[in-house]
Amino acid sequence: MVQQRSVRNLLLTLAALAVVALVLYFVQEQGGSKMRQVFTLFAIWGTAAVSLNLINGTTGILSLGHHGFMLLGGYTTALLILPELNRLQIAASARSQLNDFTLGLSIENWARGLGLEALAAPEALWTRILIAMFIGGLVAAAFGLLVGIPSLRLRGDYLAIVTFGFGEIIRLLASTDLFAAFTNGSLGFTGVPSLMGKSLWWTFGILGLTVFVMSRLKFSSYGRALQGIREDEVAAQAMGVNLAYHKVLAFTLSAFFAGVAGGLYVSWLSSARLDSFLFFLTFFFLVAISVGGTGSVTGTLLGTALVVFVLQYGDPLERSYPLTTWTLALGALLLAAAGGAYVYRRINRLRPRLHPAVFVLAGMGLVTVLVAFAGPAVGWLEGNFRAFGLRRIFLAVLLLVIMVFRPNGVLGRSEFTWAWLLRERRDQPTDEERAQDAWLHNPALNKEGKEGIDAPEPAAHPLLERGEPGDDDDAGEEPPPVDEGRRT
Amino acid sequence: MAMLDIQGVSKSFGGLRAISDLSFSVEKGEIVSVIGPNGAGKTTLFNLITGVYRPDRGGIDFEGRTLVGNSPDKIVQRGIARTFQNLRLFTNLTVLDNILIPQHHKLHSNWLAAVLRTPGYLRKEREVHETALEKLSFFGPRLMSYRLHQPVINLSYANRRRTEMARAMATGAKLLLLDEPSAGMNPKETTEITRIIRRMRDEGGYTVLLVEHKMNVVGEISDRVVVLDYGEKIAEGTYRDVVDDPKVIEAYLGRKATRKGSSADAPTTGDEGRTGA
Repeated sequence: MVQQRSVRNLLLTLAALAVVALVLYFVQEQGGSKMRQVFTLFAIWGTAAVSLNLINGTTGILSLGHHGFMLLGGYTTALLILPELNRLQIAASARSQLNDFTLGLSIENWARGLGLEALAAPEALWTRILIAMFIGGLVAAAFGLLVGIPSLRLRGDYLAIVTFGFGEIIRLLASTDLFAAFTNGSLGFTGVPSLMGKSLWWTFGILGLTVFVMSRLKFSSYGRALQGIREDEVAAQAMGVNLAYHKVLAFTLSAFFAGVAGGLYVSWLSSARLDSFLFFLTFFFLVAISVGGTGSVTGTLLGTALVVFVLQYGDPLERSYPLTTWTLALGALLLAAAGGAYVYRRINRLRPRLHPAVFVLAGMGLVTVLVAFAGPAVGWLEGNFRAFGLRRIFLAVLLLVIMVFRPNGVLGRSEFTWAWLLRERRDQPTDEERAQDAWLHNPALNKEGKEGIDAPEPAAHPLLERGEPGDDDDAGEEPPPVDEGRRT
Repeated sequence: MAMLDIQGVSKSFGGLRAISDLSFSVEKGEIVSVIGPNGAGKTTLFNLITGVYRPDRGGIDFEGRTLVGNSPDKIVQRGIARTFQNLRLFTNLTVLDNILIPQHHKLHSNWLAAVLRTPGYLRKEREVHETALEKLSFFGPRLMSYRLHQPVINLSYANRRRTEMARAMATGAKLLLLDEPSAGMNPKETTEITRIIRRMRDEGGYTVLLVEHKMNVVGEISDRVVVLDYGEKIAEGTYRDVVDDPKVIEAYLGRKATRKGSSADAPTTGDEGRTGA
């Protein structure tokens, strides 16, 4: 039975992968450059978001420094794979901040030095990029180790501030003279080979690898230990989980994949610039994780898809429209909200179904629509309006709505699995077990009582507490008075 | 040689002396209860043994080696596991996960082996699953089959207490520190828990150090009882000896307002005995 299921799941997974490959092939052949760009960005940000999810979701530590790890991986990759021509240009430029040593930091040079002509050849560029991304990941991981150390002493908000500070410190240090020899200061690098970052197969391959490692880790003994730390740090330690090792492990692994994602991102942008690694990156990943489901790998992917879609296809939101159109849209939104509120109350059987708020919303919506139509006649609402940043406002509102109605995200902590899709529930009794339960709980059938427990011997001493013989044990149990441990 | 040997341990929090100059020992295979009125220092004692606090003075030896200075997770690996007075389960995880996490330290594979699912890792994984089922079966069928996959948050209070005991057992510890295992349970469940504690010793081979307020539980299973009051040991011995000790009765019930020396026969009704519970 178990064997059959795992074979079935494997086949289903292979089929799903084939479908994904087909979609990618279609996008590659038929989709325009915009669509390819969106898909590759999804894969790159997905890699970063899934890696952040290991710290934020699985281990339950709010970390806000992910953009710093990405920057480290990105700049390392950019420096290591920058073509010789671009290096010469930088060296010739008066504003260059690189020195001879850093100009020589190139996998191509190293390969020549070691006599590996095959690796230095132009066709082997992808190998060099892979090596560079791996090194970038290692650099980020080393810093992840460093950030992981304060996590042993700090908790919650305090740690979040430290990680945020760390991310910003990395970015600011990179722009100072101290490290400008490696980063070329505020100029950064342009002309980074985009062979990998723009390739659907490579980006999705690396995303697949990350998802594989992260989900395998989550459903291993290590993942359970990390989730134990999330649930109750004190209890996890009291059960033999070495907090220091596991927290630092989470940070290091997560930083490694963030570094790799940074390398891909630089390749996707075909440039490495400090303003590509602002805090908003981490913010978008956080939105993706929260919307999709904190701790859920598949949920994080879902959230990333949403964020990337809104940001990439959201530019119609930021165009210039007549004010009447805006007003009409606002009215429609208010009416939709009224309708949504009514449907929500109906589904959840809330009374009164027609709450005053529904009327207020609908009324406001109607008035707004009326103004939109009648306004121009009396000289209102003339001219155009352009809402800069509406995409991000839209994302923020979306986050708000999801947090109100599904605080744990769309998927919550659970994963999208075949068992879930096929409605296999292991936490419900089978019919056989139900019958057994019924037998155990039915005094007429089960005369000896459950497990043959007999009555306690009567207490003899005055200090003894005399207990009344209890009624049925499981049926009489009440839920605990305080719902401790429930987290939002 | 005693399994657990506590010698002259003291612990203060600011001006409050939670434990002062406490010495006692637990032999292998014993069930020892620690009793005392609220605030006597029982839970502090547990926190000292499990490494949450470090004693100001004195030594705690386990199987001949000192425990002082070891971190809580190291102490679990040495073979001492505890339950908490106010349940600290991993509430959003399943029952099975709760029993598997304490076995994580027995895993000798690194994270990469776990990701790659090497044969060695998988063998260990099967082993810990079997151990988990074995420990849960101490409590009969109620935590088995489909309940294994239910999040702890869905369990009844008594089942949570049972899960916590199973979790402590699953660590592979030899000495279990149970902090009020019957708190919040009805009399029938209390009787059952009492039996289970005895079976833990007889069948499981565990040594048990117990903090308990319910005197019938203490009386029924303890080989020895240590009585604490204001951080000091005021009596030690068999249950019978201890409950007849005038100092113990005084600690629980207070001194009679009459002449000195008449306190020995103070407790007369069963109701007064409830003070400690």
